[in-house]
Amino acid sequence: MAFLDNSGDIILDAVLTDTGRMRLAKGDGSFKIAKFALGDDEINYELYDKNHASGSAYYDIEIVQSPVLEAFTNNTSMLKSKLMTVSRTNLLYLPQIVNNTTVGLASNSTNNILTVLVDQATVEDSTIAATGDYVNGYRIGDTKNPIVMDQGIVSNAIGDGSSVVLDADLTETQFMLEIDNRFGNIWDAKGSSQATPSFVDDDNVATYYLSTSTNKTYFGKSGTSMSGEVITGPRGARLQFLVTPSVDLNSSTYLFTQLGTTATLGSSVYQIDTTVRITGVTTGYRVDLPIRFVKKA
Amino acid sequence: MATTFKTLNSANDVTSTRTLLHEAIPLTGTIASGTYDDNNIKTYSHGMFESVYDYPVLSSSANHIFDISTGYASNSAHATSSSNQNSKKLNIYSQMAQVLVGYDATGSIQSFDRDGDIADGGDKINEAIFVNFSRLLTKDEIKKGSFSMSIMTGGAPTAVSDAMTITDDGAASSYKVNSPAGEYGILYTGSAVAGAGVGLVYYQAGVAVLSGSVFAASQMGNGALVATGFDAIATGSNIEMMADSFRNRLTNISFNNTVELNSTVYFCRASHNEFNYSNNPTYLSESQIRVKNSTTDNPVSYVTTVGLYSSDNELLAVAKLSEPLKKDPNTEVTLRVRLDF
Repeated sequence: MAFLDNSGDIILDAVLTDTGRMRLAKGDGSFKIAKFALGDDEINYELYDKNHASGSAYYDIEIVQSPVLEAFTNNTSMLKSKLMTVSRTNLLYLPQIVNNTTVGLASNSTNNILTVLVDQATVEDSTIAATGDYVNGYRIGDTKNPIVMDQGIVSNAIGDGSSVVLDADLTETQFMLEIDNRFGNIWDAKGSSQATPSFVDDDNVATYYLSTSTNKTYFGKSGTSMSGEVITGPRGARLQFLVTPSVDLNSSTYLFTQLGTTATLGSSVYQIDTTVRITGVTTGYRVDLPIRFVKKA
Repeated sequence: MATTFKTLNSANDVTSTRTLLHEAIPLTGTIASGTYDDNNIKTYSHGMFESVYDYPVLSSSANHIFDISTGYASNSAHATSSSNQNSKKLNIYSQMAQVLVGYDATGSIQSFDRDGDIADGGDKINEAIFVNFSRLLTKDEIKKGSFSMSIMTGGAPTAVSDAMTITDDGAASSYKVNSPAGEYGILYTGSAVAGAGVGLVYYQAGVAVLSGSVFAASQMGNGALVATGFDAIATGSNIEMMADSFRNRLTNISFNNTVELNSTVYFCRASHNEFNYSNNPTYLSESQIRVKNSTTDNPVSYVTTVGLYSSDNELLAVAKLSEPLKKDPNTEVTLRVRLDF
């Protein structure tokens, strides 16, 4: 993945992604481009110098000199951050999505990461269970706390979250969750129903869409009604869900030995680290939440 | 409502184009007759053709560039049971003829016609040398009017002489379309003259058919063979020996190939009030937009990537700009993304 030649006119280097090629090869009409988005993955806005001595023409001098990498074909690796359309130009604050470990699942106090225990033997091992908070992958309904993601402005500069509501056009009404389908599935906060992925791509990444209108059990109280909040400013939606282990992780050590490591968590365990990607469909703000699947060795 | 996607209007934002790309393909004779001491020549136990590579055959870097074979029609004077590999020469000719010339109304395989006017009867090419080019070289087709082959038609095998250059003169504007294998042109030794053709070149199939008559009055053969004319070698030698003889008299082949690119162009238009904010993690500091001091400042963003998505937000194609492009409420941008198929 080289840099693009930026010595002359602006050029576009375009490629089909691996998913695009897969859709094209299927020949079932699923390769149909319907929309576009613009991304700025290489841009570090911290380089924007609003106090440059030479004036506003130089504020972004370092940004516009940023070299741009070639396009590559892994669909999940491109456009990690997108440009957003809001017709108003007077916004000074934008909402973020934050993992709430106060009322939601906390990182395991021993390994400091959200942890899923994948089977009965692991859950019933008292030394492992005593290491901290976890998702009960054996009896999902017995999990104490779901994973909670709060959306809002993390500053109270424009008002306290208990009294000021996030603007409606910035409030998320739908979230997109992506997880490696070989490892885990998405369930609602009470562990009573499993979500259905919209599609699974060629890299086994399953994409779930959860909407406030059709997936109510995945959402907690929002706005000023939110409790146990970690967001100090105006609040939007609260997403809450559980991650359960796949059958492969539950019943076999194959993926653990292929892709994971061994460690000690109270007892000797296998573990696989992965991420759950949570994206607000309205604002496009995205968080990669590290998560660890643990199985007693 | 904030959004990160913009729907493409199929009527105004999407269009299709077709482009023809050409590459010059020069094949010098030494690659077929000595550069690699014949280690780039592959022969087969069946003896029906031999293959020429651009590098010694045993190397993983070797690319197949063309095959050589010969044959004659059943009504050729050479088609006698006493001829060397008679049945295989008949089979090769018939196979090439049925693919490239086709059948008549009775279902019989037709012969190669010297001027391409098959229905009119006329002079046929009954003894032929076939040069089948690899698709690696010809791609979608040989460009009409670009084909040239130089051969030595006289002299002893060890001292070849009488250079002859054969081209598809005039084929750029005048070519034949009555072949089941696509379009073809007539090969001439000079300017195009009716009835003076010495072979045929099939553009899409990537096959040159050379009449044996170009060698008829001269000597053919290579160092291992008795110097003799084409007629004698056609009956007395096997296909492999004939192919060896031909490639040792081949000094140059050149043509332009053609790649047909079908492209779809997507016009990604960002209006003045679109795509001015970013969800890049560095865009915010404590939720405040870094590029603004106050609400009256214009938001600014920088485009480096264009993503093309399906209706369910699957990323199907991606394009990168060579440098960041500033976007703010004072600018409108149209990015033209071309996908080639």
